[in-house]
Amino acid sequence: MTSHVLEVRGLVKEYPGVRALAGVDFEVRPGEVHCLVGPNGAGKSTLIKCVSGAVEPTEGEIRIDGQPATTGDPSTALDNGVATIYQELDLVEDLTVAQNVFLGHELRSWGFLDRGRMRRETIHVLRRLNHDGIPPRTYVRDLRPAGQQVVSIARALSRHVRLLIMDEPSAILDDREIETMFGIVRRLTAEGVGVVYISHRLDEIRRLGDRVTVLTDGRTVASGLPATTPADQLVDLMVGRKVGQLYPERRHGDGRVVLEVRGVRRLPDVKDASFEVRAGEVLGIGGLVGAGRSELLRAIYGVDVREAGEVLVEGRPVPPGRPDRSIAAGLGLAPEDRKSQALLLDWSLVKNVTLADVGRFQRGLIRVRSERAAAEEQLRALHTIPADGSRMARELSGGNQQKVVLARWLLHQCRVLLLDEPTRGVDVATKAQLYRLIADLAARGLGVVVVSSELEELCGFCTRILVMREGELVAEVDGAEATELELLRHAMPDTQEMLAPAAISDTAASEANAGQEET
Amino acid sequence: MSTPPTQQVDTVSGRVDGQGPAPGLGGLAVPTRIKLQEYALVGVVLALVVIGAVLKPDSFPTADNLRAILTQASVVGVLAIGMTFVIATAGIDLSVGSVVAASGIAGGLIVDSGTAAFVGGAIGFGLGLGLVNGVAIAYGKVVPFVATLAMLAMARGLALLMSDKSPISLLGFDGVRWFGTGEILGVPASIVIFAGIAIGGWILMNRTRYGRHVVAVGGNREAARIAGVPVRRVVFSVYCLSGLLAGLAAVLLSGRLASASPVAGELLELDAIGAAVIGGTSLAGGRSTIVGTFLGVMVFAIMFNLLTQLNLATEWQQIVKGAIILGAVLIQRPERI
Repeated sequence: MTSHVLEVRGLVKEYPGVRALAGVDFEVRPGEVHCLVGPNGAGKSTLIKCVSGAVEPTEGEIRIDGQPATTGDPSTALDNGVATIYQELDLVEDLTVAQNVFLGHELRSWGFLDRGRMRRETIHVLRRLNHDGIPPRTYVRDLRPAGQQVVSIARALSRHVRLLIMDEPSAILDDREIETMFGIVRRLTAEGVGVVYISHRLDEIRRLGDRVTVLTDGRTVASGLPATTPADQLVDLMVGRKVGQLYPERRHGDGRVVLEVRGVRRLPDVKDASFEVRAGEVLGIGGLVGAGRSELLRAIYGVDVREAGEVLVEGRPVPPGRPDRSIAAGLGLAPEDRKSQALLLDWSLVKNVTLADVGRFQRGLIRVRSERAAAEEQLRALHTIPADGSRMARELSGGNQQKVVLARWLLHQCRVLLLDEPTRGVDVATKAQLYRLIADLAARGLGVVVVSSELEELCGFCTRILVMREGELVAEVDGAEATELELLRHAMPDTQEMLAPAAISDTAASEANAGQEET
Repeated sequence: MSTPPTQQVDTVSGRVDGQGPAPGLGGLAVPTRIKLQEYALVGVVLALVVIGAVLKPDSFPTADNLRAILTQASVVGVLAIGMTFVIATAGIDLSVGSVVAASGIAGGLIVDSGTAAFVGGAIGFGLGLGLVNGVAIAYGKVVPFVATLAMLAMARGLALLMSDKSPISLLGFDGVRWFGTGEILGVPASIVIFAGIAIGGWILMNRTRYGRHVVAVGGNREAARIAGVPVRRVVFSVYCLSGLLAGLAAVLLSGRLASASPVAGELLELDAIGAAVIGGTSLAGGRSTIVGTFLGVMVFAIMFNLLTQLNLATEWQQIVKGAIILGAVLIQRPERI
C-alpha cells in the first residue's frame, strides 16, 4: 500500500459537543489531483488541519508515504513533505519574496543568513513554477493576490514536498489567473507530487482533477470518484437529495430608481462610474480581480472617500466618506472579506446583527431581550444555522456568516444592498440558497448590487450586468442574454492575451515588476 | 461528553446539518472565557479573605479593615473603570497617574472659592487633559501608547509647575475632606462613589449603544466603521472619559490625604491597567468586563492590605504586583500564536 502519498482511514475529530469528522476515508496517489468537495461545515477544513498537523485527530490513522504520521505537530508534517496553501495566505507582507519563501528555514553559512543563495534558490523555484518574472527582492505587499499565491506555493516547494494541500486556491483569483495556477498544479503532478484540491467551483474539478471525494457532515459519502462525475450528481451527493434549480427566477427591475451613482471617482481604482439601480432589480458588476469593483462599492458607500461624483439614495444625496450617513440614507454594504471587514468574530450573533442599529433597542438602556428576539427573527428568516443568537460568529461557516451580515441590513430595513462577492467561499447548496435570498430581497423592493468574480453566477440571476475594466464601467449587458464569454471579452484588456497561454505568465511577471516600480 | 447533535433541516436547501448545535443549549453551553475568569477571580478574592482571616484573625476580618481596604481601592477603582473603556478600544492610557496629580493641584489652586470649585476644577482639568489625549489619538492618529506617554510627562510637569513643587494643604476644607472621610448612610463616601462609578460603568458598557460601539471599535475597527460606528468619535470619547475619571480620582485622593500633591498618583496607571488586565479585559481590544475590573481592583486591594499587615516591605509588594499581572496575562494568552 505504499503507492499512496496520503492515506486517511477512519478519521474522527471531536470537539466539545460537535463531531467535526465522523469517519473519513481518503487517499491520494502520487501525481494525482484529488479534489475534495462538500458543503460548508462538512469538515473539509478539519480534515486538512488534521493532515497538516494543525489539529490532533481523536481517532483514526493518517499515513504519509505509507508511514504512520505523527499527528498534531505541524513541523513534523512539513518535514514529511506535507505542505498546505491556506485560503488566507499566510505570508508576511513586509518581507520580500525570498524572505517569505525561506521563512522558518532560512539558509545560513557561518551562522549568517546566506541571502544570495536564498535569492538564487527562490528564482530556481519560481522558474519551476514558470513564474521567474517575480523578482525575489519584491515585497510581498506589492504583489497582486495571484502573485502572492505563487509565492506561497514557492514556499511549499522550497522544502521537499510530497503532498500539496490547496484550500480554495481559486477563490482570490480571476479566470485568467486560475488558468495559470492550474498550469502550476499540472507541473507539480507531473513531478509526482500528490495534490489535494478543495474548491466550491465544480467546473474546476473536471478541468483539473483526476478523482473527487465528497465529504458531508464529517463523513466521506463518496470517495475516489472519477473527476468526470457529472456536477449534478456531485451536488446531489453533497446535499443528500436533488437540488433542482441553482438560480432563482430572474428579477425584472421596473421599480423606481433607488440608487443613482453619478461620476464617482477615486483614482487610480475608480475612474468615473455612473449607473442607476431600480427597486426590485439585481444589478451585477463583473470584471477581473483588480478592475476596481470593490473600490467602487466602497466609494459609493463611503468607507473610502470619493474624489468626485454624487451618490443619491431615493433622490437624496449621500455625503462622501461617512458610512453612518450612508446607512441612515438606506445603504448597506456586505464587504468582500466577511471576517476582517464585516464581523466581530468573538461576538455573539445577536450583537453582530444589531451592530449597525443598536440604538433602536435602546430606551434609556438597551432592552436585551427584544434585541435578541429581533436579531434571531432575522437569522431564522435567512435560514441561518445555527439561529441561536448566543453563538459566536467565529463558529459559523462562511455561508452562514454571510447570512449574519445580510441579517444586519435587513434588521435596519435598508433600501439598497451592496454585496461584494457574497458567495465567495460558499458551497454550492448554500450558494443556491443565497441566490434565492438575494432575489427575495429584491422582490421585497430593495435594489441589490452584486459584485462577483464568478461571471457564471452573474449571468445566472442578475437583471442587468455592468462590466468594469481598469476602473471604468465599459459595458452593460442584459442579464437574460449575457454569456460568460461575452462578459469576459468586455472584462479583458486585450482578448488576444487570454488565448495565448504564454502571455499569461508574462503578464503576471509584468504585474510583479509593476508592483516593484511602485515602491 | 459529546451531545448528540440535533438534526436541523434547512427548509430552503433541504440540507440536514449534523453540526448544528442543539437549540436552546445556549444557557447550558460552556461559559465564555470572560465568565470563567470572573468566576476564578471571585474564588481568588474569597481565598484571599480566608487566608487573611487565618493569618491575622484579629486585624484582618474586621469592619474597620474592610472599610480601609475599600476606601483605598476607590481611587484605583475609579481609574480602572475608565481604563477598561480605553483598553476595550484597543488603546491604553498611561497618563492617568500624572493627570490625577495635575487635577488635584488644579482644584487646590481654586479651593478657596469653595468645595464645588475644587471638585469642578479637578474634574474639569482631568477632562481637559483627557481631551488632549483624545484629539491626538483619534484625530492626530498618534499611537495611544505614545500620546499618553507624552501626557504622562506633561501632566506631571504641569502639576509641579502649577504648585510650585509643593503640596497644597486642604486641612481646613471640610467639604473637600468629606470625599475622603465623610459617610453616606454609614458608608464612606469614597466607597459609595466608587460603587456608583462601577455600576454606571457596567451599564454604560453593557446596556447602551455607546458601550457596544466602544467594544466594536476595539474588536474590529474596519467592521465597526462599515457598520456605521463613528470610530473616531468613540476613540476620542474614551480618553475624555478616562481623563474625567482621573479628575474624580484626584478629588477622592485629595480628600483622603487632606492635601493635593504634585507628586501624588505615581504608578497609579500601573494599578489601573493591571486591575483591568487581570480582570479579563484584553489589551488587544474587543473583550472587556467591568465586573472583572472591579474584581481585579479588589484582588490588588486585599492583597496589599494583607501584605502590609504581614509587614512585607513595599518593594516586595511591587514585585508581587508585577508578578500577578504577568501571571494573569500568561493565563489569558491566546491558545495558538
